[in-house]
Amino acid sequence: PSTLEVKRQRRANKQALARRFTLEQIRPGTPEPVKGREHVHVQTELYLEEISDRIIEVDGECQTDDFLDRPPTPLFIPAKTGKDVATQIQEGELFDFDIEVKPILEVLVGKTVEQALLEVMEEEELAQLLSHQRAFAELRNAEFAELQRLEEQDRRIREEKERRRLEHLEKLRKQKETAEKIAARAFAQRYLADLIPSVFNNLHDSGFFYDPIERDIETEFFPWLMSEVEETLQKKVLGRTMLDSLIRMVVEKRLDAFSHPPPSDQTKAPAEEPTATDAAPQVSGEADAADQPIPENKEADQPVAEE
Amino acid sequence: MAQPRISAYLPPDIDPTKAALAFGRRALPKLHEELQSPELLTQQRALMALCDLVHDPEKVYEAIALGFLDDLKTLLVHQDQTVRQKTTEVLSVMASHSIGREGLIRRGVVSALTGLLDDPVDICRKNTHQIFDRLAKLPEGAGGVLQAGLISPLVLKLKTELDEIQELILGTLSNCLRVEVSEALAAGAVTVLKEKLSHPSTAIRSKAVWVLLEISSHAEGKIAVCKEEVIPVLLSLLQDTQPEVQVNSTGALMFALVTPQGRSSAMGAEAIPPLLTLVAEETSKARLNAIKTLTLLAELPEGRKTLLDHRDTFQRCVDDPSEAVQRAAEIAITVIDWKP
Repeated sequence: PSTLEVKRQRRANKQALARRFTLEQIRPGTPEPVKGREHVHVQTELYLEEISDRIIEVDGECQTDDFLDRPPTPLFIPAKTGKDVATQIQEGELFDFDIEVKPILEVLVGKTVEQALLEVMEEEELAQLLSHQRAFAELRNAEFAELQRLEEQDRRIREEKERRRLEHLEKLRKQKETAEKIAARAFAQRYLADLIPSVFNNLHDSGFFYDPIERDIETEFFPWLMSEVEETLQKKVLGRTMLDSLIRMVVEKRLDAFSHPPPSDQTKAPAEEPTATDAAPQVSGEADAADQPIPENKEADQPVAEE
Repeated sequence: MAQPRISAYLPPDIDPTKAALAFGRRALPKLHEELQSPELLTQQRALMALCDLVHDPEKVYEAIALGFLDDLKTLLVHQDQTVRQKTTEVLSVMASHSIGREGLIRRGVVSALTGLLDDPVDICRKNTHQIFDRLAKLPEGAGGVLQAGLISPLVLKLKTELDEIQELILGTLSNCLRVEVSEALAAGAVTVLKEKLSHPSTAIRSKAVWVLLEISSHAEGKIAVCKEEVIPVLLSLLQDTQPEVQVNSTGALMFALVTPQGRSSAMGAEAIPPLLTLVAEETSKARLNAIKTLTLLAELPEGRKTLLDHRDTFQRCVDDPSEAVQRAAEIAITVIDWKP
């Protein structure tokens, strides 16, 4: 332990003692010991020390001398040694090209490099733009090709549809034509089937086919027959007309006669009959001169009348 | 002694070929005046300065607003080749900005450029074709090129020009023919392109097939392609080693096979096996186009029979990460399974 520390310790102890005394005066101390016991002050530190009021002190002092001025340095002149040599710097010899040229070179190189960098940047920018353009152009081309492919597909499909539609129309038209043809043919067949019999019938009816004998009979015999019949009938009619006129005459006469006083009716009636019968042959006799075939007519007349 | 300042004087003009630019807003008007000066050197220096300025879109806008394009049009027919070359370069850089493109179309620079197609200097022609190529990427630009009647001269030039310029011409043609195809067909483009299909350079082959793709996306184009028997050549290109050529040739087939004659000639030329190999490859870019072409072929009865055996190939395509390929594969399966 240095003297300073020892001193400090001693001071501290002094203070502690003083404090303790004051404290003992202020506070009540420890109580009195119990019987049979004794309170003893003990030091519990590592090193025991002698506690006393008075500390052993030793004084010592020292002192430096006064500062003296520094004495002046002695003149040092080294001994002359070696050879004497002289040199002279000529004009321009201090010029070191490398050092001098450095700033100029820096400026030159700097400017050149700057210019080169600018150009390289420009080119790089151009190259970037170009690659950008190429990428875009590729995409655009791909899309464009897709568009054209779809257009082409669409066109093909449309053309195909158009062709098929035209074909279908053609087919329908042909079908219709064929159906019409068939219908016309069937109709014509049916029409013509009747044609031949009807033609023949017509011809037959218009008398183009004739049996010559029949025709002969018809054309010659019948007219003659008919004319003869007509004549006979005319004769008959004539006879009847004559008879009618006779009867009328007779009746008128009789009327006249009866308008006068009438003779007996009975004689008249039978007289009428024979007169009628007389008149008839008379009439026939009278008509004889006109018509020869009168008896024949009479005979014909009677069978006709009988009929 | 060394000093950090290099010299007591300010540095001289580093590039004597360029005109000195005025500060700020005054730069372009000053260049405009210099362009109109009668002295050749001034004009050249002004053009060189303008070339560098035109890379900035704001300067392009300003330049067009100041009316530079009319001066440039007059300079296009200058006798000095440097002037012409630089003018075409300025115009081509302008055409890479959209404001520049619009300005060029509106001012009718396209018709002024037709005269330069036969220029003796290679670079002028190359720049001219580059301008056409960049212009044609816009629909209005393509319309402008078509209206200027440039298609037939371009098709003729395809036969005679250098390879690089041919690539540019093919690019221009592909964008223009997307719009209208009759002029090109009249100029016999299909025959010329058929020769180019066997060119050794990959870029020319792939671009030529791209032009054929654009031609066959129109109806008259399809008829012309079938008539000229291009389809067998396209089928042989399917086995080309370069993927871009494969992609483009499958695309051209995709369009050409929409017509029935195309389909029958493809079936006759045994189109299905190479297309199936392209579809089966998982990482091929030509997958989408190949699936679409096979869909077209599956609409024929013989095609459907053959493809029914390979149905599972399409089934695997449905799991492709790209959505377009999935859709195309589903459509293909639907078409294959269709029964009349």
